[in-house]
Amino acid sequence: MTTFAQAAERHLDDVYGYLVWFTGDRFVAEDLAGETFERALRLWHRFDEQRGSPRTWLCQVARTVALDHFRSERRRLRREELAAVPERYEQPLAEGLSPEIESALRVLTAGEREVIALRVVLELDAATAARVLGISPTNCTTRLNRALKKLEEAIDVAA
Amino acid sequence: MSQPDLTRSLRAARPVAPDELRERVRLVAAQAAPPPRRLVTWRRALVVAVPVAAAAIAAGVLLTRPTRQAEQPLPNVPAVSHGSVAASGGVLANPALAPTIPQPSATRAQRYTASLDLRVPTVGAVSADSKRAVAIAASLGGYEQSVNVSTGKASGYADIRLRIPKTRVQEAVRRLAALGRIVSENVNVQDLQAGLNATARTIQALQRNLAALRAQTQTALVQRRILQLTARIQKLQRSEASTVREARYATVALTLATPPAQPAKQHRPGPLHGLGTAFRWIGIGLVYALAIGAPLAALAVLVWLAVCALRRRREDRLLSRP
Repeated sequence: MTTFAQAAERHLDDVYGYLVWFTGDRFVAEDLAGETFERALRLWHRFDEQRGSPRTWLCQVARTVALDHFRSERRRLRREELAAVPERYEQPLAEGLSPEIESALRVLTAGEREVIALRVVLELDAATAARVLGISPTNCTTRLNRALKKLEEAIDVAA
Repeated sequence: MSQPDLTRSLRAARPVAPDELRERVRLVAAQAAPPPRRLVTWRRALVVAVPVAAAAIAAGVLLTRPTRQAEQPLPNVPAVSHGSVAASGGVLANPALAPTIPQPSATRAQRYTASLDLRVPTVGAVSADSKRAVAIAASLGGYEQSVNVSTGKASGYADIRLRIPKTRVQEAVRRLAALGRIVSENVNVQDLQAGLNATARTIQALQRNLAALRAQTQTALVQRRILQLTARIQKLQRSEASTVREARYATVALTLATPPAQPAKQHRPGPLHGLGTAFRWIGIGLVYALAIGAPLAALAVLVWLAVCALRRRREDRLLSRP
């Protein structure tokens, strides 16, 4: 049986990579990854290995943490927009990406980046990714195709 | 850029967790896992207990409505004996016990009436015992005054009035009582001697008057008086003779009847009776819970679906930003 320490060590990069793509911010992803593992430790007794792999379960926890972050961030932005337009600091999403891809990824929505992260970067199958997203595998595949098409178009525009 | 190239580029640029984060996660993992939260909390218990209590109260209110009372078989009320002198009342279970009736007076004229209600086991016994009763009366020097026998498939009834010589009425009642089980018995004794004595005195007085009139000169008036007195004396003598005849015989009213239809035999509770009752009540409870709970459950499902849809829409909106 997998221990929490083993699961954390094995899947830290997956969770972090998923959050980087999902949030579009490496520093935020770092914070959220730490928070994800803290929450996962609290909820580890609920994890059932027969119902899914530790990676899937950790991605589900990470997604919940990220959604909470998005909600609080949206409320914060609304408050700040009342006073002034907040400045955005954009760091490169990942090392090794071409500038065209980097800028094209900025065009995608968080939802589109998320499905690319799960299916392409983490190489989850459609059923597992759909489970993380809480949607059907067909819907997941459709989302992925649309996201990749949009990304290609954005790359073409950027090029 | 083709899609496979794009995919390859994206996978090649897979982010790697920084060392600080790795260290932080290791520290987190090294911590002792907190005890799991209790599954049964006060809030969760209330969420379950409140609807259950509401369903139980509703079921209790609905189930304790006044219901039509079950028909109870009437108790077997023994026949009440009527009469001025009741020798005994109620049911004599043992037919061997002969009824004790007062002995008729040997010196005084009495109107002696006895009634016997007997229970016989079958319809056939009703007609057979009726014949026996008449035979008993005949053997004792009596006769049947009236016989009324009515029999059907399930029940039979006979009403017999016998005239028995007064001196043998006790024996007659004893033998008749042996025909069945005594349900009730009634004896009525009325003294007639005082009336007979008074009649006799009146007759003697009238005869004296008559003799006196006959000794007088026989005028038309006297002769008419003689005729009147004679007629009155004859009438009184007939009445006296009738009373004496009546007092010589006792009347025995005999009723023979089959037992009343037995109420439906009640089953005695068996060893699984309690279990059956419990299951019955559980079933009733389940029906009520279903009747009350099904709409609530349907409503809860609808609310849950609505909440899910709303959450999904909000989530999509949240993730629709770059």
